[in-house]
Amino acid sequence: MSEPCPRTSYADNAWQGTCRVEENVRVARDTYRLRLACPEIAQRILPGQFLMLRLTAGNDPLLGRPLALYDVYSHCDSSPDAVQVVYLVVGKMTTLLAEIKPGATIDAWGPLGNGFEARPTEHLVMVAGGIGQTPFPAVARECLGLHCYGEPRRQVPRAKKVTLCYGVRSSEYLAGVDDFERLGVEVHVSTDDGSAGHHGLVTDVARSVIERSDAACRMVCCGPEPMLAATAELARELNVPCEVSLERAMACGIGACFSCVAKVRDPSGNWTYRRTCIEGPVFDAAGVEF
Amino acid sequence: MGPAAPKLTPRRSDGYTVVEFIVPRQPPAFLVVTLPPVCRDNTNSANVQLDVQLGRLRLRNPIAVASGTFGYAREMAGLVDLARLGAILPKTITRDPRPGNPPPRSVETTGGMLNSIGLNNDGLDEFIQRKMPYLADLGTAIIVSIAGRTREDFVDLATRLDGVPGIAALELNVSCPNVSGGVDFGTNPDACRQVVAGVRQACSLPVLAKLTPNVTDVALIARAAEEGGADAISLINTCLGMAVDWRRRRAILGNVLGGLSGPAIKPIALRAVYQVARAVEVPVMGIGGIATIDDVMEFLVAGATAVQIGTANFYNPTASMQILDALPTALAELGARSVADVVGTMTERK
Ligand SMILES: Cc1cc2nc3c(=O)[nH]c(=O)nc-3n(C[C@H](O)[C@H](O)[C@H](O)COP(=O)(O)OP(=O)(O)OC[C@H]3O[C@@H](n4cnc5c(N)ncnc54)[C@H](O)[C@@H]3O)c2cc1C
Ligand SMILES: Cc1cc2nc3c(=O)[nH]c(=O)nc-3n(C[C@H](O)[C@H](O)[C@H](O)COP(=O)(O)O)c2cc1C
Ligand code: FES
Repeated sequence: MSEPCPRTSYADNAWQGTCRVEENVRVARDTYRLRLACPEIAQRILPGQFLMLRLTAGNDPLLGRPLALYDVYSHCDSSPDAVQVVYLVVGKMTTLLAEIKPGATIDAWGPLGNGFEARPTEHLVMVAGGIGQTPFPAVARECLGLHCYGEPRRQVPRAKKVTLCYGVRSSEYLAGVDDFERLGVEVHVSTDDGSAGHHGLVTDVARSVIERSDAACRMVCCGPEPMLAATAELARELNVPCEVSLERAMACGIGACFSCVAKVRDPSGNWTYRRTCIEGPVFDAAGVEF
Repeated sequence: MGPAAPKLTPRRSDGYTVVEFIVPRQPPAFLVVTLPPVCRDNTNSANVQLDVQLGRLRLRNPIAVASGTFGYAREMAGLVDLARLGAILPKTITRDPRPGNPPPRSVETTGGMLNSIGLNNDGLDEFIQRKMPYLADLGTAIIVSIAGRTREDFVDLATRLDGVPGIAALELNVSCPNVSGGVDFGTNPDACRQVVAGVRQACSLPVLAKLTPNVTDVALIARAAEEGGADAISLINTCLGMAVDWRRRRAILGNVLGGLSGPAIKPIALRAVYQVARAVEVPVMGIGGIATIDDVMEFLVAGATAVQIGTANFYNPTASMQILDALPTALAELGARSVADVVGTMTERK
């Protein structure tokens, strides 16, 4: 691999502050898209990086919650001044978040984590499970040459094709398919219950996309752990480079607590615990011990 | 205009703090000063002396960051002006590398969190070679936290750290609930006295003993540490606890038990600081649930000479900076001219 793995990314250009909620809309079952006025983060953040969100008032919930960048947003043609995240309501914080109205405030800090690598790719195959689709609009937009992220603006050679293989429990959980299609991403859906698209595993869809592709493929993957493991295995079998974004319980998101570790192998095959918040969340799939 | 009560307005979104104050015995005047991040220490408008003495260790101010809650400081450099801190305590090191406990290693509980990190660290050699050069350059007191299974482990670590440039003091972590072996030194007075004495003999650095609240009589252990020669006592480490997922009938943490920290443990920490400060002559460093200037003042008044901020660094990475901004004003509110003026000044209640 060209870059050392794992790639450590300290929060050196992170910003912390209170942001105004511009929008908080339901986009699928139990799923909402939140937009925060936050030019500092919007201008610096890269695809695959995340931010920590916390309710401005009170100590319950106490800790910030990591949420991936869905995409940045610009009110005019100039540089981005808001960040969008998409979240699934699963517990304490996300339940409260779903109640928040535009005009309210929320505390945020970021950008955090390493994000996806900016590598030249002919055919990018994005494999998402459930809410794991959230990092991919920004990845696709960058790869298709539609936006340059970060400060300084990062240039990525344009991919010929970007495909999303998107697996969900049932069709009512599909979120943001229009967003992907609008960017020019080819979307293949799979569902566990057969209510839309392929009835079965998203890795089966990914396999057929790669086998039918006449370009050199690269995979990026985010979702539940068993799906990541299956995708890593598929990548090994088809000999396709693959990066996975891991989700671990985080307390700080910044490298301070050593909560969020995953077993990652070094080139000689020995594993050590790595902090997924600063040495991830994105890892070369081949190095992760699932 | 009212009396000379400087007032801190809430933190602005750009991270600056607006300080409004009225100059005493002057014609009514209103000053609004916006201080740039680099020299915010100048909020010492009330001429309050912030430096504190912990045995042989002098700190420029009483606000430190607790071991295990601030990484190796490099992680926090993007958001925190490290040079402003009174002291930095990097994550506890052991002689040999330790992988730590299996995940999940932390879980939020009401008003706090449980952790079972298990002293994940790369060992002494890596620390000296890779972390110390950065820490030594920060211009802030570095208190290196060490842990071992045996008295010899502690002595060995202390011997090898003595003379490493940039170390201001050692903190003996005799209180980590997440490893077996180490915690005996924090629960058995004789073992505690001996380990502190051993380290005192082995090195010339000031020594702090960090105690656990998970004992019947914390003052007893503190006295033993004092007898062993501790320059100061720091407390508390986390309170042993657990969280259960009843649907799956299993513990949530990979290591089953963990240490509780955060606002939930502040009353326990205050109690322990109060009891220990009255039982020993040496100064006390208060730790446990500190997140705001009010928390800091409570610990000082209860008997702590300095404090360490822990879990608050996780949910408000700039908590230490906000506290430093507010400290001179809060001290001045009690009419203090130095930190020492308020330490242990609680009035008796019948
Ligand atoms: C890098 C990263 C990026 C992420 N990006 C996104 C994203 O873009 N969108 C998104 O929706 N999520 C994302 N997540 C996940 C998100 O952080 C969590 O869903 C969120 O923290 C949940 O917070 P909560 O307070 O709502 O849930 P919590 O109340 O903290 O609960 C979290 C989970 O633990 C379970 N749980 C909680 N308490 C208990 C208990 N006592 N017993 C058993 N189980 C329990 C809950 O059922 C839930 O599944 C990301 C995570 C990471 C690490
Ligand atoms: C995630 C985590 C890791 C910790 N690691 C250490 C450690 O390595 N050494 C140590 O002496 N204390 C460690 N502690 C304890 C803290 O330093 C502190 O004593 C305790 O958390 C109470 O303070 P707080 O409530 O402000 O966090 C850790 C605490 C947490 C939450
Ligand atoms: S979440 Fe704290 S180190 Fe990763």
